[in-house]
Amino acid sequence: MSLLDLKLWRDLQRMKGQTLAVALVMGCGLAMLIMTRSLIHSLETTRQTYYRTHRFADVFVQLKRAPRSLVPRLAAIPGVAAVQPGIAVQVTVDLPGLDEPASGLVRSVPEDRPMELNRLFIRRGRELQPGRRGELLVSEAFAEANRLQPGDPLTLLLNGRRQEFRIAGVVLSPEIIFEARPGVSLPDNRTYGTFWMWESEIAAAYDLEGAFNHLTLMLAPGASAQAVCAELDRLLQAHGGRGAHARADHPSHVRVSDEIFILRTISIGFPTLFLAVAAFMTHAVLMRLLTLQREQIAILKAFGFTDAQIVVHYLKFGLVMATLAAVLGTGAGIALGHRLVALYHLFFRFPELHFRLDLAAVAVALGVGALAAAAGVATAVRKAARVPPAEAMRPEPPARYRPAWMERVGWGAYLSPAARMALRNLERHPAQAFFTVAGLALATALLIVPNCFRDSVDLLLGFQWDVVQRQDLNVGLVEPNSPAALSGLRRLPGVLAVEPIRAAPARLRFGPRSRQLAIVAVPAETLHSRVINKHWRQLSLPPSGLIVSAKLAEVLGARPGDLLEVEFLEGRRPVCHVPLVAVSEDLTGLGAHMELQALNRLLGEGDRVTGASFTLDPAQRAAFLRALKDIPQVSWVSIKDSLRANFRQTTAASINLIQRMYLAFAVVVAFGVVYNNARISLAERARELATLRVIGFTETEVAAVLLIELGILTLVAMPLGLLAGSGFATAIVEAINTETVRLPAVLTLRNYSFAIATVATAAFLSALIVLQRIRRLDLIAALRAPE
Amino acid sequence: MNAEALRLESTEASPPLLRARGLTKVYGSGPAAVRALDGVDLDLYPGEFVVLLGPSGSGKTTLLNQLGGLDVPTAGDLWFGSLNLARASEAERTLYRRNAVGFVFQFYNLIPSLTARENVALITEIAARPMDPEEALRLVQLGERLDHFPSQLSGGEQQRVAIARAIAKRPAVLLCDEPTGALDVRTGVAVLEAIERVNRELGTLTVVITHNAVIADMADRVIHLMDGRIQHQRRNPQRVPPRALQW
Repeated sequence: MSLLDLKLWRDLQRMKGQTLAVALVMGCGLAMLIMTRSLIHSLETTRQTYYRTHRFADVFVQLKRAPRSLVPRLAAIPGVAAVQPGIAVQVTVDLPGLDEPASGLVRSVPEDRPMELNRLFIRRGRELQPGRRGELLVSEAFAEANRLQPGDPLTLLLNGRRQEFRIAGVVLSPEIIFEARPGVSLPDNRTYGTFWMWESEIAAAYDLEGAFNHLTLMLAPGASAQAVCAELDRLLQAHGGRGAHARADHPSHVRVSDEIFILRTISIGFPTLFLAVAAFMTHAVLMRLLTLQREQIAILKAFGFTDAQIVVHYLKFGLVMATLAAVLGTGAGIALGHRLVALYHLFFRFPELHFRLDLAAVAVALGVGALAAAAGVATAVRKAARVPPAEAMRPEPPARYRPAWMERVGWGAYLSPAARMALRNLERHPAQAFFTVAGLALATALLIVPNCFRDSVDLLLGFQWDVVQRQDLNVGLVEPNSPAALSGLRRLPGVLAVEPIRAAPARLRFGPRSRQLAIVAVPAETLHSRVINKHWRQLSLPPSGLIVSAKLAEVLGARPGDLLEVEFLEGRRPVCHVPLVAVSEDLTGLGAHMELQALNRLLGEGDRVTGASFTLDPAQRAAFLRALKDIPQVSWVSIKDSLRANFRQTTAASINLIQRMYLAFAVVVAFGVVYNNARISLAERARELATLRVIGFTETEVAAVLLIELGILTLVAMPLGLLAGSGFATAIVEAINTETVRLPAVLTLRNYSFAIATVATAAFLSALIVLQRIRRLDLIAALRAPE
Repeated sequence: MNAEALRLESTEASPPLLRARGLTKVYGSGPAAVRALDGVDLDLYPGEFVVLLGPSGSGKTTLLNQLGGLDVPTAGDLWFGSLNLARASEAERTLYRRNAVGFVFQFYNLIPSLTARENVALITEIAARPMDPEEALRLVQLGERLDHFPSQLSGGEQQRVAIARAIAKRPAVLLCDEPTGALDVRTGVAVLEAIERVNRELGTLTVVITHNAVIADMADRVIHLMDGRIQHQRRNPQRVPPRALQW
């Protein structure tokens, strides 16, 4: 080891507190970058591999019924590489352990040929055995939520008839990486599942022998999904085709893509912020630390070391910190990344989801860390190297001071000597004060972001479940039915109020843009599924015309007054032009609402309902649900409390984990910044403070000199930090604006208080450390010549 | 050497202000131990002007630190009235420094962000029976430069502010560590005059460390230290005024 390196080593040991603080702050930024980028990398590569190996289809279409003989014509559409016709039907499931009715989708497995598209992955058990009846495969999410194992019995109501099945295997499909009831943004895997059984068995039950009602296609490379969809729609129109859609509109695919989008937003926003703070702080800290080494640099120069040698020596300072940060950051990033991946496995069903380290992110992280350190060192060394050696070896002349601004305007009399020293010192070193304030403000700002994220999710849920949906549960019917079908439901135990719902699948088009969704129609003055404007007031549904959610209006590029083309995808499939009368606020999914009668007029099928919403007497809820299980027209039930509980266990758990991780990082950074500032100020002023101790000041009085200054800086930094944090949080949170979910930035007093309390606590603890250090100040050194 | 034996007439009529007995300071331990002070017995009297002489490492500064309550001895006692500084707590020693001791450092150690007046006022605000800061500055002939910051003062002026700061509390003891070490002759003389005047007019026990043997002529008593022990002491028949010193 060269002597310079030995010096480096000893200097670092002397400053291990500061070194560690810098490394921790930088490490937090690196960890976050590595963690989120790796998670995205893991999700993307896993999904890509899964789609490829299990041949996830490109185009999907549901129809009423078409003969098998049509398949060759469909396969001949230019651009189509493979076609898989099949049967998909909604069924009710009777689970003995479950109070409410469960439902699901049954898909067919061809007997005469292997599954060409959307191949299944057998997690447990086995495939369906050829020739054996009464068997089915169950999706993993449903099986796990209901603790079902291969060999367990399961009762389905197929076309109104109860049929007993035995579970052969628990499976995964690339079509349901994210499994939720169609049109529902939050999953309830207890009450909704997907099942697969032999095609002949399901065809028999639904009278679909020699026919199909569901079609998936794979496209040839380079083929246009839009053109194929258009051709399919044309060919299937006579067979009740409900509109073909490409992978980009596939619910599970969209959900995973949105999640990756959100992660990407977060993974750019948060780590950039953290790394910026870390780089900034590293820069400032190194600059101040090295300024303290002014004489040493002069001595080295006097000995004949070149500027370059000195720069390299001090660069090693920064690089040691950057390396330490890299080790800590990469380690933490990998460990936390593993935890996150495990969590994502809870609601994204992949055959395997392994943590894959994103090496590019590691490289970026290391580069940023090293650059930040190098920049800090370079500035300081350049400053020191400019001083001629002889001059630098003399003690620095007393710094020039002048009365502070407060004194110049005549308030000096109110200031204690300690306050005067603090204020003048701040004015004397404006750059240093600026950097300190900026560091502290950024530390404060970092704390705002994760809590804003939490509060925004809370607001979203409150909005969705308390403001919009006032009912306790929704019931869906097997088929559109007359309102009379509801009278039976109205008489069930515990019903306080019922409102009819008519949902109609449709394609909304405005100009070149279109979206496929269900138009939901309810009574004009509904008390249940309310339509809310941006001021959170209920909108009354007009006797005609559409109200669409702001996001849908944005997606279509439409404004109130515009005429939308509505192509209904069921029944007689009328195409009409409907005015957009108002825009509603909606934070999840895309919504389009109409008044019940208005929609029924457009559909021209008379009074029809597809379901109803209920408020219930809580005491009789179980009785209501049990009774519901015996009503054959009921296809599904969606219970608000179940969704909420389920959400807490899955999505909320993941959001909370990420939020807590970020918060922990932010707290570490806040402490690192505050602590380092206090320590460096102490080092810079050690001689002055020791002198004060020598001439009779108590430890507390001496600490006050330093702490008043830190206190002023902290007080200035806090409001700036809150302001900056609000800006960052708004930018990051509101960037989460997808068709699945929109997060409004919510900034609460609680959030602000937490940030202030954390920084204040960090400042307080740092003050204690400073006091401790002042106790250990070498008083005798103050009497000696300055080093 | 027996301190009693060295008691010389005149100033020692009153009881000693500081009384050291067997004062020992050891740095380090085992074979590497250094005895910076090795059983020093010493009495210092009110109003005395004492110069400590000795080569580097003889224990001058260590002794001064002990007298100033900056450090505690490894063994022995050091009495200031009824307070044994060797056993005093940190708080008691702080109070001792605050009210009884004035320090003058080689490198002045002024607070750069405070003016001359404020540097002095810093002390007068916390001391028990201080003089007016302006009075203290006038005593060191700096009545004209009250509102200058240290950066606006010459080295000698800075040192005189340091002396004013040290004496503004009317300390019983004034301790000076190489007060002229960083100054040229002319400025050094002005500083020594300020110290001498304080000693004479306020009757402050003044202890000055110096490498400069010439300065010893202005003292009542000169103490030579060597290897942590008092090698010999002498009493000057007459104090030479600083102006008459030549080096």
